[in-house]
Amino acid sequence: MKVNESQIAELYAFTRKHYVEHYDLQTELVDHLAMAIEKQWAKNEHISFDKALQIEFKKFGVFGFMEVVEERQKALSKKYSKLIWKHLKEYFKLPKIILLLILTVVLYYLIELAIVDRLVLTILLALSLLAYVVDAVIHVKRNKAKKNNGEKKWMFEEIIRSYGSGLWLFFVPVQGINILNSTDVEFAVKSPVFIAVFSFVFILLLMVSYIIQFEIPKKAEHYLEETYPEYKLVD
Amino acid sequence: MYIYLRILGMSTSQLYRGSLSIIILKLLKENGEMYGYEITQRVKEMTQGDLTIKEGALYPALHKLEAAGHLTVTAKKVDNRVRKYYDITPKGKQETVNRLAELDEFLANMQRIINPKLSF
Repeated sequence: MKVNESQIAELYAFTRKHYVEHYDLQTELVDHLAMAIEKQWAKNEHISFDKALQIEFKKFGVFGFMEVVEERQKALSKKYSKLIWKHLKEYFKLPKIILLLILTVVLYYLIELAIVDRLVLTILLALSLLAYVVDAVIHVKRNKAKKNNGEKKWMFEEIIRSYGSGLWLFFVPVQGINILNSTDVEFAVKSPVFIAVFSFVFILLLMVSYIIQFEIPKKAEHYLEETYPEYKLVD
Repeated sequence: MYIYLRILGMSTSQLYRGSLSIIILKLLKENGEMYGYEITQRVKEMTQGDLTIKEGALYPALHKLEAAGHLTVTAKKVDNRVRKYYDITPKGKQETVNRLAELDEFLANMQRIINPKLSF
């Protein structure tokens, strides 16, 4: 005896009821439960679907699917950090390293100027804030468009989108300027090395923000297909 | 090994839990791609029912190995549902070799402690 179409739907509902929100995990668990139920039927045809399901669910232990969900989240977060590293490494290779160096040098001179002229610093800060606002608008629009797109949730997609809309990231550069502005400017004046290192780190952080906000979300489909071979099989 | 564990006062499930990823890697290396349920059944068969892998531990282990790049996943439509198959990567094969060597060393050391050979 095989698990039929409507029972599969029931199994999906069952996983949702037990706090498995994401379609990728639901699919894997549904297949597992269906296989196990069929195996029970092979031994004893008279056992009901619900009874067989309860028996199988108990095998997951007292916390049910919780551990599976939590660990999946951890595994995918790790995968995501690796992805950021992979992208960041590109900035240390030609041609992107040129961009990194040019931006660092530009910032270096801007800071030097800023020490002389507070106006430049104010403009820089204003530009950062502007970038932040523009970014916020883009993300609100993007998320709205996404929400209308059916109800299947993919965990990795959610990670990409939620970090991708991590607006706090743009505060990092703003904070950087603030720190330079309010604290030891004297020290900065005396030490070109300090300014150089500061510029480099600052640009690097900017690059990470850029990767998280734009590069990875732009390639999201590709990464999702790589993570979820079933992504193309459904819908 | 079972006896040694008893001597150590450890429950078998505790120790096996730590070895779960080795079991998975080794199985995939020998059998090629498998899906989650198949792995639990194969282990049960091989150990004549002595060892059952907890479902709540199997999937976390599989996902962890996948995230580490030791496994790849493919999906196929089987009957009326989607099934996910896991297969070992070259990196995973290397990892298996390393971990088995570690395990061998561990077992050898346990032997030496529990069964010291007296030499004159």
